[in-house]
Amino acid sequence: MKFLTHEIGSLAKPPWLVKTSQGRELDASDIDQARSWGEKVGVEGHEELVETLERGGADVDELNHWASRYCVRLQESAGLEVIWDGEQPRSEMYAWAIEHSTGFEPRGTVRSFDNKYYSKSAAVGPVGLAEPYHNDEFSFLQSVAKARLKIPITGAYTLAVWSYDEHHAPREGRLGAGYGRKSEIEARRELTLDIARNIIRPNLEALIALGADWIQIDEPGASTEADELDLFVESFNVSVEGLDCMFSTHLCFSDYDLFFPAIEGMSECRQYCVGFANYDRRELGTSAEDRPGYEVISKFRDLPYDPILGLGVLDIHTDFIESPELVRDRILHAVEVFGDPARIHVCPDCGLRTRSWDVAYAKLQALVEGSRLAETALAGASVS
Amino acid sequence: MADLQAFAPGIYPRSEALVQATRDLDRGRTTQEAVDEQVERDFAALVEAEQAAGLDLLADGMLRWQDHFRPLLEQADGLETGALTRFLDTNTFYRAPKATREPRLQGPLDERYVAPLPGPRLVTLPSPFALSLGTGLSPKTLAENVLKPALDGLEAELVVLAEPFLAREDAGLDGLAEALGMLAGGPKLALWLTFGDAAPALARGAAELPVDGLGIDFYSTHLDDLPKGFGKLLLAGVVDGRSSLAEEPREIAAFVASLRERGVEEIALVPNGDLQYVSEPYAHEKLARLGKAKTATVEAAA
Repeated sequence: MKFLTHEIGSLAKPPWLVKTSQGRELDASDIDQARSWGEKVGVEGHEELVETLERGGADVDELNHWASRYCVRLQESAGLEVIWDGEQPRSEMYAWAIEHSTGFEPRGTVRSFDNKYYSKSAAVGPVGLAEPYHNDEFSFLQSVAKARLKIPITGAYTLAVWSYDEHHAPREGRLGAGYGRKSEIEARRELTLDIARNIIRPNLEALIALGADWIQIDEPGASTEADELDLFVESFNVSVEGLDCMFSTHLCFSDYDLFFPAIEGMSECRQYCVGFANYDRRELGTSAEDRPGYEVISKFRDLPYDPILGLGVLDIHTDFIESPELVRDRILHAVEVFGDPARIHVCPDCGLRTRSWDVAYAKLQALVEGSRLAETALAGASVS
Repeated sequence: MADLQAFAPGIYPRSEALVQATRDLDRGRTTQEAVDEQVERDFAALVEAEQAAGLDLLADGMLRWQDHFRPLLEQADGLETGALTRFLDTNTFYRAPKATREPRLQGPLDERYVAPLPGPRLVTLPSPFALSLGTGLSPKTLAENVLKPALDGLEAELVVLAEPFLAREDAGLDGLAEALGMLAGGPKLALWLTFGDAAPALARGAAELPVDGLGIDFYSTHLDDLPKGFGKLLLAGVVDGRSSLAEEPREIAAFVASLRERGVEEIALVPNGDLQYVSEPYAHEKLARLGKAKTATVEAAA
């Protein structure tokens, strides 16, 4: 058997794209970066990019395409079977969706953690889709990628919970009135389902029409409110119901116990891609004691519709490079819990955009090598 | 203290310029010195905003604090940063405190973390319960070995102990009461129950805890849940730190009148939690509205 390996979505943008987008001058190291990575991961025609950068005055859209090519080849070269382009043309997973939607206004920048931030907007009226916003990216990647594509798209609940809601929430009368959770949840429900129906679903339909066969609905905000998990599930179902495609969802940095039993009602989700390594130890071993970060996986195993688990094996918040043996042991532990290796895919905890390409590449190579080690170990076990 | 004040404890948002500077620092595109200079500019702008709003106590906005625990974890032997953890129901995360042995603060927090201010000031620290959560240590141990030494190094009119978890945890208050008792004897103390319905904690006796003031989020807590005859300084959370909507000063003034009718004598108008959950321009406006609400309250009473 073979474990399917895949990325989650985002990768860092190369310095020549970032600086050009910001109108800054490139220096020699930026051009060296384009040259060395082009050679390293085999980007066809990268000399043309290098010449363009040396000449100056490059077009940002053109550089976005180059960045996509680099990220595609980076992941293919690392050995991943299912890839994306690291979301190179997108401003950010939340901002990109909001920029291409109607009914929102920007409200500035808020901290995510440490020196990481995200832009936040407010729903100020009925929300809708200005235009399907992943079609161009997908169409371009269809022409470039050798590996299978999986399209990440930010989900309705995350878009709702990461936004302020000035449209449904009352402007006055809350102070000291015990404006309860029931009212808050009802307001959130209206916004979330409007986003699911009017923004996410039309995007999914457009991608499927272009040939998409696997779409990953990213929901890092899914467990933000423990008492809104039914709403997260409802929004997923409203987004995908009746559409012909493989749908998965990505969850990260949450108390995963909270998702149960709510996601028992999310049977259209064929794969849960979940971050665990952040909570795990770095020592080798395949027992439950050795792998405390993976304690919850039995609950995914027991879901009534037998989804696949996308097993997060790389901690994306650190430059620590997991050894292939550590990846192997995390996989073997999961196989032991699931009892069926076919229900395990292997992936990072989350997108690797906060890591340098050097670190991301080394981590992804370890992920692939560790997967092969796990296959060998299982083959050996079945022979003996 | 005057019977009506206004101030803003907690972490204040960074300006767009400081956001960019710290992003650039992480990416090796700028220097720590350049970030420090921008912190000073942010700090000066915050103090100016607080003074312009007429706030009674100044706060430094904790602009260098990465979260409510970090400088203490870095300064204490036996404590370290743990897993990245979601802060309540926000999209902001913190490094959960982790204990490796009996902790001990190695020295007071320096001026990077408690900046000098040109007037009467408050300082915000984590409450002993919040600091202890998940560490396996008692609030008393953390109060005695970490918070008390930190308090001893401070000069402040008021120390606000931020407590975001108590309102959501079904925990008894005895351990916290004992820990707060350890912290008495220095600056006045207030326990600030942020971002949550304080009713369950009040029902368990939070109003009787050994502190000079108690903070309550009145966007989540019903006025009727405040015990009658409440005899401490009430840090009334009347500005919503998680909403981009601007509060109406006249609505706040009317609410203060309701608190007075309920017999509350000493009131401080505060946000219901850190303002860092809105961007800096919105936080700036909310500071201004705190001041306007105080003025409106005084005018309505006159």
